[in-house]
Amino acid sequence: MTRRLSIIVAIVSFGLVFASLVVGYTEQQTARPLAESYIRLVPQELGAPNVITGILLTYRAFDTLGEVAVLFMVAASVGLVLGKERQPRSGPLADRFDEVKPSSEIVQTGTQTLVPLISIFAAYIIMNGHLTAGGGFQGGAVIASGVLLMLLAYPQYQPGLEFLGITESVAGALFVLAGIAGLIVADGFLDNRILPLGQFGAFFSAGAIPVLSALLGIKVGCELSVILERFRP
Amino acid sequence: MISRIVLTTGFLLVLIGLWGVLTRRNILRIIIGFSLMGTGTHIVIVAIGYVTNGTAPIIDHALSLSEAASRAVDPIPSALAVTAIVIGMAVTAVMLAYAIRLYESKKTLSIDAFTESKW
Amino acid sequence: MTDLIGSVLVLLGAIFHFSAGLGMLRMPDVYTRMQAGTKASTLGNTLVLAGLAIHHPSWGLKLLIIVYFVLMTNPVSSHALARAAHSIRIPMAGDTGIDALRDARQEAGSGT
Repeated sequence: MTRRLSIIVAIVSFGLVFASLVVGYTEQQTARPLAESYIRLVPQELGAPNVITGILLTYRAFDTLGEVAVLFMVAASVGLVLGKERQPRSGPLADRFDEVKPSSEIVQTGTQTLVPLISIFAAYIIMNGHLTAGGGFQGGAVIASGVLLMLLAYPQYQPGLEFLGITESVAGALFVLAGIAGLIVADGFLDNRILPLGQFGAFFSAGAIPVLSALLGIKVGCELSVILERFRP
Repeated sequence: MISRIVLTTGFLLVLIGLWGVLTRRNILRIIIGFSLMGTGTHIVIVAIGYVTNGTAPIIDHALSLSEAASRAVDPIPSALAVTAIVIGMAVTAVMLAYAIRLYESKKTLSIDAFTESKW
Repeated sequence: MTDLIGSVLVLLGAIFHFSAGLGMLRMPDVYTRMQAGTKASTLGNTLVLAGLAIHHPSWGLKLLIIVYFVLMTNPVSSHALARAAHSIRIPMAGDTGIDALRDARQEAGSGT
């Protein structure tokens, strides 16, 4: 009884706080000074039409590096928790898993049609990160969803944990090396002017942003695939 | 007006997720509640950056370079939301790994079975 | 006029999505819930995208590709889920009469 009462009190009080926030909120008429300076500076200094990717990969690139570190830590902790030899299937549902049945023909045909499309789509998202919406993280997540589809449709599929581990480590190291090159050649750590800026809106433009996006996409894709591989029985 | 509706939807999702975390006994449903709270927070973050009659801060044939500063939506909350979504997914992965180990130790998915940490 | 047709199609799509959610709440067991969710939401998706294509005719090809993608993935995934649920022997609702997959598997098992 007191449990239900305290739950109701907690939710009602949170609801009152949120309601006061909504009532006191007024839409901005013009952008704030910091946002306006970012919108003006990113096409002018970095040569990238997509302002958000310019912010994420140059002006606030150190936060992106921290997020890459968080992802690595999560992959390591999932490997720690689920890595050891687990007990064979036991418990209330143990008698229901007779053997690993192969997936049906519909799923296999659908996988054969979809996995090339998903890979092309992921590459498109990564490489066009500086021109339209997209970037490294989004493309990496799409790569991992393609790997998940292969894992579900073909139960004997082995993505190769050593290869993925080596690939993601090399991509992460190259990312930091590009940042140090920015210190030496251009204005600061992870500056994108180590490569020429090129013509505004072209495919090979905006300096090092496509290269950084590609490295990010490879690292995030391999990381998420390693996490998904750990969840198999 | 639009951003007020989106803001209310985000806060409603946070409240529904919080209710799910507090009342459910199945571990997987609690994890879904946490994921709902995260999604609601991301919606709130993006809704705060809306500028009236603004459009996405990407310079293409819809938004030219000269009028970008006056008609574009705030880009900083969108960048924060990208980071937040990735970290939310990572935390969900760790929670699911813990759920698997908890199930293997007590053979049940109800959190009423785990009483060692209670007073 | 075309705006009106497009908006009516989007509204129909939204009604189908709502009925998908309602079906998932009210149906008795896993298999009927999956059927309600998949069929109604796929049709709702298609109608919303068709209404959008009438609003903006220049987006027609891209929206057609999206409809193709949704039609490829939604039924395949619900098929895989239903088969997995049948493999771990989740019980069916009380007044289910025919179980075609169990009969087919018994025939295949006894035939070899």
